[in-house]
Amino acid sequence: MSAANSATRGLTQRTLLLLWSALAMLLACGQAGAQTAALDLAHFLPATSRAQATSPADSPAAGFANARVAVNPAAAGATPVGERMCIACHQLESDHFTHTFHALGLHAASKTDASIPVCETCHGAGSLHAQDPTSQGLIIGFTKTSGTPIAVQTATCLACHEGGPRDHWSGSVHQRNQLSCSDCHNPMAKFSGEGLLARSSINDTCAQCHKDVLVQFHRRSHMPLPEGQMSCVDCHNPHGSTTSPLLKTNTVNETCYQCHAEKRGPFLFEHAPVRENCLNCHTPHGSNQHALLVTPLPFLCQQCHSSTRHPNDLQTPQSLISGAHPDERLIGRACITCHANIHGSNAPSGPRFHE
Amino acid sequence: MHRQSGHRVLLAPLGGLLLLAGNIAHADSGIGVDMWRGNVLDPRGGADSRPLDPRGTSWLSPRQRRSPSGNLYLCPAASPEQTKLGEWLFSGSLDIGFVGVSGDEDNALWNRYADWEDGFILGLLQLEFLRPRDGSYASLRASRISDDDAYFDAMFGRAGSYKVHAFLRELPNALSDSVRSIWNGVGSNHLTLVDPLQAGASTSGQVGAASRAAIERQISVNRSKQGLGFSIYLDPRWSAHADVSNEQRKGARPFGGAMFFNFPFPDNGGILETLRPVDDATVNLNTGLRYAGSKWRLDFAYSGSFYRDRYTRFDYEMPYALSPVIPGAVSAPLQRGQFATEPDNDYHNIKAAITRKLGNAGEFSLTASLGRMSQDDSLIAPIDCQGVFGIGLGGSLQLGPQNPFLFDCSQWNSNAALPRTRADMRIDTSLVDGRIVLHPLESLSVRAGLRFNREDYRGSWLAFNPLNGAYGYVSENGAQGSVVPGEVGFWYPGAGASNLTRIRNLPLDLQTTEATLGADWRISEGNSIGADLVVNRFEPGNREREQVDFRRISLNWTNRALDWLTLRAKLSHLRQSGDRYNYDPYEFTFSSSLPGFVEPEGGVPAHTVDALRKFDLASRDEDKFSLIATIALGDDMTLGASLNGMRNDYDASLGRQSYDTHGGTVQWDWQPNPRFMASAYFGRDFSTLELANVNDQALDPDPSLGGPTYPLDAVWSDRDRQRNAYAGASFKASLKRVAWDGNWTWVNARGSNNYAFASPSALAYFSDGSSVPGNAFPDTRYRVNAISMGLRVPLGERLSLRVFDTWARGRFEDWHYAGMDETRVIEHRVYTDGGPRGYRNNLLGMLLQVRL
Repeated sequence: MSAANSATRGLTQRTLLLLWSALAMLLACGQAGAQTAALDLAHFLPATSRAQATSPADSPAAGFANARVAVNPAAAGATPVGERMCIACHQLESDHFTHTFHALGLHAASKTDASIPVCETCHGAGSLHAQDPTSQGLIIGFTKTSGTPIAVQTATCLACHEGGPRDHWSGSVHQRNQLSCSDCHNPMAKFSGEGLLARSSINDTCAQCHKDVLVQFHRRSHMPLPEGQMSCVDCHNPHGSTTSPLLKTNTVNETCYQCHAEKRGPFLFEHAPVRENCLNCHTPHGSNQHALLVTPLPFLCQQCHSSTRHPNDLQTPQSLISGAHPDERLIGRACITCHANIHGSNAPSGPRFHE
Repeated sequence: MHRQSGHRVLLAPLGGLLLLAGNIAHADSGIGVDMWRGNVLDPRGGADSRPLDPRGTSWLSPRQRRSPSGNLYLCPAASPEQTKLGEWLFSGSLDIGFVGVSGDEDNALWNRYADWEDGFILGLLQLEFLRPRDGSYASLRASRISDDDAYFDAMFGRAGSYKVHAFLRELPNALSDSVRSIWNGVGSNHLTLVDPLQAGASTSGQVGAASRAAIERQISVNRSKQGLGFSIYLDPRWSAHADVSNEQRKGARPFGGAMFFNFPFPDNGGILETLRPVDDATVNLNTGLRYAGSKWRLDFAYSGSFYRDRYTRFDYEMPYALSPVIPGAVSAPLQRGQFATEPDNDYHNIKAAITRKLGNAGEFSLTASLGRMSQDDSLIAPIDCQGVFGIGLGGSLQLGPQNPFLFDCSQWNSNAALPRTRADMRIDTSLVDGRIVLHPLESLSVRAGLRFNREDYRGSWLAFNPLNGAYGYVSENGAQGSVVPGEVGFWYPGAGASNLTRIRNLPLDLQTTEATLGADWRISEGNSIGADLVVNRFEPGNREREQVDFRRISLNWTNRALDWLTLRAKLSHLRQSGDRYNYDPYEFTFSSSLPGFVEPEGGVPAHTVDALRKFDLASRDEDKFSLIATIALGDDMTLGASLNGMRNDYDASLGRQSYDTHGGTVQWDWQPNPRFMASAYFGRDFSTLELANVNDQALDPDPSLGGPTYPLDAVWSDRDRQRNAYAGASFKASLKRVAWDGNWTWVNARGSNNYAFASPSALAYFSDGSSVPGNAFPDTRYRVNAISMGLRVPLGERLSLRVFDTWARGRFEDWHYAGMDETRVIEHRVYTDGGPRGYRNNLLGMLLQVRL
C-alpha cells in the first residue's frame, strides 16, 4: 500500500472517528442534559400545541409518563374509570397484557401518578362502556366488529407512536387500504419475541395478506426468510416510506446494498442494468434459477445482448455436457463463467467483466 | 495483494459509545436491517416455545376476536412464571439437547442457511428481568446450532425512556456441496494448480484426471455480525437513535476465469470456473434525531456504510497451453489469470424530513436526502504475465517488427501501464420528495406527490497506457490476443490501428422525476374506492434512450363492510414510452472514436442490431391486478385467498417480448379452542417470459434486421415458463401439560424453455437445425417435501422434554449441470461446481427445557 493510500485511508478513518465522537457527544448530551439540549433545539421550531406534554424529568412518573386517555369520538361524554374497573370484567385479558412491554411502561407510570391511565390509554374513557358493555363503539376496540372506525384506531396508536418510521403512514398503501395498526400488532399479549406483533413473527404477520409473496421464498434460491434469519421488514417499511413498494431506502439498489455492500462500487467499469436496478436481473422474493435470477442463463443476457460473434446464438441441448458439441455459453454458470464480474469490474482490463 | 482493514478504528468508539450512551434502540422498521433474530430450528425466535394458555383470551367470550381485516387473533401463550429477585421479576428458560442428522448431511440445499451438525445444541436461552417500579427491563435470547449458526441478542432499557440493544449473529450460507477443485488455496487470493498439473502446460486429460481425483467438498460463505443500537426519548417530543453493526463475510464461491473461448477452437482457450475468496467486512451506521409534535414532525438521519475487502485482486493458474489460429505461429505461454475484487467503498447519506399537519387530518411532508458512494481503490495491472504475450509468427517469440502480434509483458504488467493508479470513482445521489394529503370532505381524501431522484456518476477512465501510447486493455488475461492475431484488446498505431476495443468507462447518470395524484372516497365506513395517477420520467445518461416516460393509472377498492368478508382489490394499467431509441449509444467508449483509428476494410462491424430493445427502456404496456380476500368461516375459522396477475407486452421486434405472471393462494386457519390451532395453505403461480434475438451471419457494418449482418432467417425466440405449486400445513395442540406440534411443507417447481427459430442460421450450431427434436431444454425441477413433528412432555415442575423429528426430501434437476457427475472437464473447460443435488435427510432432536 502506498504512502498516499495510507494517508487517504487514515484521513477517512479520522473523519469517521470524528463522526463517532460527535455522535458520542450528542448521546452524552442526551444522557446528561437531554432535556436542556432538546429544549434548545425546540426554540428553532414552530410552536406546538402539545402544551400538556411534559418531559420525563418534569414528571415524577416513570415509564409511559405522558400517556393520556385516548380520544373516542363515539363516546364523547365518557369519563375514565381506571384499570381496576376494567379488570373487574377483563381479568384474563389483563393477565396476558401484564407481561407485555406496554403494560410495563403504563403500570410504572400509573403507580407513581394514579391519573395516568393504563387500559384507557388505548381504549379511551370507559364509563359509558361500563354502563353499557354490549354497545359497539363506546370503547375503542381494535377488532373487526368493534364499531370503532379504522381512522380512530390508528389515530389512537399514533398518539404515542407518531413520526419516525411511521412518518409516511398517511397516504401509504397500507393506510389507503384501510389497514389498522392492530391488523399487524396485538399488544394485548406477547405473541412474538419482539414488536408486539399479531403473529409469531414479522414474516407470519405479513403473510396474513401476502401469502403469495411468502411462498415464493420456498423456491430454489431465496433469501433466508423461511430459516428465520431475515424478515420482510429488513427491506420494507410497512408503515410507509417515500417509495411505492415501501422500501426502507431511497432506491431498490440502496436497499440491496444494505447487505451486499460489495456491489455498491462504483466500479471502474459499470454494467448499465446493474447500476440502474438490481431487479432488472434478480427477483428478490425467490427464483427457480441460480442466484435469484429472473430467467435462466444464457437467456437472461440474451434479452439485451445481440452483438456480433458470440452472445446471440440460439443454443440447443446439444450444447450441454452430454450433447454433441458442449459449449461453455450454456453449461454451468454459462455467460458468467467468463463475464464473472458481471456486477461491475474494478480491473483496468475488465470492461467486459472478464477480470 | 492484501488490504488493511479500517474497521478497527471504526469499532474503537463503539465501546465508548455504549458507555456514554446508556440509552439506546436497535434499527426500527424505518431504518437498517437486522430486524429479526431466529434460525432454522426456531424461525419465530422463541415465540413458539411457550405452550398455549388453556384459559383462552377472555372469560367474557369463548370465541376469538378478529382483527380489523378479519383474521382471527391468536390464542395467547400461557403467562410466564416469574420469580421475584428484589425489585426485579425474573423469568427464563433454557432448552439444551442434542440433534442427530442422518442421510445427505452435507447437502448444500439442506444446509442452505443452516449448519446442522450431530451433537450438542443450545436450542434457546431466554432470560427476562422486569422492574415494575420504573419500567426497567433487561432480556437475553440466544441459540446455537453450531459455531457458524448461532445468535445472541440482548437488550436493556426503561420503558418510555431508552433502550440499548446488542446482538451477535453467525449466519451460514452453504453454496455447493459438489465442488471439485483443481486448485490449491481455495479461500485465499492465490489459486495454484494441484500436482501434477503445470501452469500453461497441462493437457485436458491431465486436468480431467486431477478433477476426478479431487475430493468433493462443500463451500460456503458465512456471515458473522455484531451490532449495537440505542434509542432515547430526550423529551416527549424529541428522540434520538443510533445503531452500528460490523459484519465479516468469509469463505469462497464459484466464480469464473476467462482465457478465451473453447467452443470455436478445439483444444484451445480456457474456460475456468475458479473459486474466488470472500473475505470482507462492512460497518453500517445509522443515526438520527426525531421530533414529533402535535403539528410538526422532523426527522434528521445519517446513514453510513463502509465496505472493506481483504484483497484487491486474486489470481489463478491457467492449466492449458494456447495455440494461435495462424499456421506455423506459436502462442506466448500464459500461466495466470486475475480478477479485481470489489473495491473498498464508503457510503454516506444524510436525510431531513419535515412534516406539517394540516386541518382535517391532512399532512404535508418534504424529504430531502443527499448521498455519496465512493471508492478509491488501488488498481491492479492490466495483465499478470512475465516475458511476452500474444502470437509469435514463424514460431519465434522474439519481440520486434517481425512480430506485430507479440507484446512485451513489462509494458502492461505494472501500474505504470495505467493512466492513474487509483480508481477515484464516485456517485453523488440526491432526492427530494414532497407529498400532501388533504381531506376536503370527511369521506374524501386527495393526495399529491412529487419526487426527484438523481445519481451523478463522477469519475472517468480513459484507458491510456503511458508506457507505449496504446489505448484499451488486455483482453482475457492476454489469451484472446494469443489465439487470434490483433484481438489483444488495445488499440495502437500501425498494426493495431483498426482494432475495435473499449477505451473508456461508461458513466451512468440516472435521474427520475415522478408525480403522483390520487384520491380515496369512503363510500361508507368500511367501503372505499380510490384512484391514482403516476407520471414518471426516467432520464438515464449514455443509454439507448435519454428519456423514458410512463403513466400508470390504478384503481383500488377496499370493502370491510361485511362482518364475514374483507376484500381488497387493485387494478392498474401502465404505458411506457420514450424518446428516440438509439440502438448504439456506446460509440464514444470504443477505439473507433479515437482520431487515429483506421476503419477496417469493409467498415466497422455493427455493434448490435438496430431492432433490439433493451427491456428496461423499451416501450411497453403493463396490466396488473390483485385481489386479497379474508373470509370468516364461522367463529373459529378463517379462509384467506389471494389472486394476482401481471401482463407486460413489449413493443420490440427483438429483446424481451412479454413477461406475464399470475398466481393465487388459499390459506385456512382454525382455532376451535385455546388448546388447538391448525392452518393449511395451497398456492400456485406461473410466469412466462418471451424473448427474441437474431444470430449474426457476417461482420458487416449494417445493423439493420434483415440486412447481411442480421438476416431475418437468423431470428429466434425463447419462451421461459415457470410453474410452481406450494402447500403446507401446521398444527399446535396441548393436552394438559403435553404439547404437540407438526408442520408440513411441500414445493413443486417446474421450469421449461422452449425455443423456435426461423432457420438453422439462428443456431449456434447449424447442424442442430435438423438433428435436435423437440425444440426444448429438459425441464428444471425443484421439489421439496418436509415433515416435522414435535412433542413436549413434562418431567417435573420446572423440567420438560421436547422430542422432535424432521424428515425432508429435496429433488433437483437443472440442465445447466446435467452431466457434471460424469465429468467436469470438457476439452479446455473446467467446471468446479457440480451444481445443487437432491437430498433425503432425517433430523432427530431432543431438548431438555428447564424453566429457570
